[in-house]
Amino acid sequence: MKRITFAKWLIPALALVFLVGFSTTGLAKVIKVGGIMDTTGATSDVGKDYAIGMDEAFKYINSQGGVNGTKIKYTWFDYGYRIPEAITKYKLLKRLGSIAIMGWGTGDTEALSPTINKDKIPYVSASYSAHLTDPKKTAYNLFFSSDYSTNARACITAWFDKKWPKHPDYGKRKPRFACAYMFASPYCSAPIKAIKDHARLLGFEIGPDQDVSLFALDTKSQIMALKKFKPDLVWHGNTTMSVSATIRDAYALGLGADWIINNWGFDENLPRLAGEAAEGVMGATPCAFYGQNYKFMDVVLASAKKYNPGVPQAKRLIRTIQAWGDALILWEALKRADKAGDLSGPGIMKKGFETFRKFDIGLGASPITFTATDHRPTTGCLVQEWKNGKFQEVERVDLKARWPEKWEKEWLGW
Amino acid sequence: MNKKLALIVVLFFAMGAILSSCAFLQKPTESNFKDPLIKLSSIQPSYYEGFWYYGKAKPAMGKAPKGGGSSPVTLDFVFEITNPNKYPIQLESSSFFLYFDDYELRVVHDSNPMWIPPGKTNTKVMHVTLTPFSTFVKFLLASKQLALQRGDKPWVKIKEWWTKLPEMSFPIDLKEGSFTFTADGVTKVVPISIRYQQ
Repeated sequence: MKRITFAKWLIPALALVFLVGFSTTGLAKVIKVGGIMDTTGATSDVGKDYAIGMDEAFKYINSQGGVNGTKIKYTWFDYGYRIPEAITKYKLLKRLGSIAIMGWGTGDTEALSPTINKDKIPYVSASYSAHLTDPKKTAYNLFFSSDYSTNARACITAWFDKKWPKHPDYGKRKPRFACAYMFASPYCSAPIKAIKDHARLLGFEIGPDQDVSLFALDTKSQIMALKKFKPDLVWHGNTTMSVSATIRDAYALGLGADWIINNWGFDENLPRLAGEAAEGVMGATPCAFYGQNYKFMDVVLASAKKYNPGVPQAKRLIRTIQAWGDALILWEALKRADKAGDLSGPGIMKKGFETFRKFDIGLGASPITFTATDHRPTTGCLVQEWKNGKFQEVERVDLKARWPEKWEKEWLGW
Repeated sequence: MNKKLALIVVLFFAMGAILSSCAFLQKPTESNFKDPLIKLSSIQPSYYEGFWYYGKAKPAMGKAPKGGGSSPVTLDFVFEITNPNKYPIQLESSSFFLYFDDYELRVVHDSNPMWIPPGKTNTKVMHVTLTPFSTFVKFLLASKQLALQRGDKPWVKIKEWWTKLPEMSFPIDLKEGSFTFTADGVTKVVPISIRYQQ
């Protein structure tokens, strides 16, 4: 009887010692974070660099010990900019145990928002739609950048401050303003109401909108329609490929207007694709361009070279920096929430994100603040222009400082 | 009593053998972590419907996707990965960009980890599903410039690829790839650039 008991306990005990000794890594606790990216769909011209940048950021974060010593297991999927597939991938990531998700487009992020709220999973997106910034409606949606409405308001303001006074007609008439974007795209149309509101606020005459597909190759008919209105300023809300096609056509047909571009249409590829038509084009830049001199840029560049050595540096874009922006705010929120002992969804929000007060990611972004009542990360953005072969600062516009009452009481959530 | 003593002695030596074998295992460092060898052994079409595309249609059931429907193909990329090190390594993630005829189609990515014992070769399979329509979208974005330079018509090219897929008789490249391995906290990234040879 004793012999049986002895063997019964000793052998499994030894087996356990053996197994534990060889599988410490396999059993190590990890924090699961998911990703839903577009590397094949309508926004893949900007989504691919974002996706690989995000992957590099999480690898770097793990090399620095992860979240207070616990590694992050980052799992991401391409969804091809198809909303049903984004919802499917979201459900998969939830089943896999993700405690936070890095998302992509406006259409899918806004479609998922009620589910995210119900599931209480923090969702850090590349959609900077202002519709996602009011915690009363979208409590678990976040991003690091100035939102699209803030971007557009800042760009219109910068042009009005810096360019319009130099125009020969300044003081003689109202400046004329129009918009070009894909009407059916939630991303492109998200800030339209705010844009028109801001143009009216500054006294612009507003012309008819032009519908430009994200896949547009030829925009001559839209440019001809714009020529009838003779705009001084046109806002473009698409991504880089169709923005470059439009400004090329405008240049060739002599439209003569200045351009301001939302952030997803304004990157290092724009001058490559548009050539001399890109000269003087202004855009919202939520963070530094790839390689610009900011304190954390060396880490980003080193990580790109280390984790994707086969991808030429010349192909890398500001999209990588934007991915890092979102990864870095999640990292900081997770560290704070973990320190407070609460990595639940509400814990990550209340003890993580909503404790940010002018948090600097070190990559040229405006300082980031989240409160329980306001998820607009920043109060303005840096407006830059492509001039003499490089991106140059036009103005860092702070909307809250300029219109404090409207910022506080009117502009949240749209 | 003798049997019990014998069992203890055997177990004692067995433990000693296990522990000493552990001690002989090399500890991973940046300098002794050799690049794992990565070989693309085959590309296997695991789902194929030939070539078809419709722009607008009313399905008998369900909702038609925007942009129409087109014939999906699923490709399995079968890699053989050899660990030349004296310690086990983990393949943490793997990714590459898939090119047909120098046209970039998509990023293929996998983040399911896999352990590879010292000196052994494991098989890793990565999957991708492509459709003619998603490929056409790439012609409007990343591939637009190359198509203009070459004078290629997107749908002609896509039809050619889909009909030649069973033989894979056109250049298929896996470029700008990286396979990330870890061992005891040490990371090694191996870049890959492979033209598929049948």
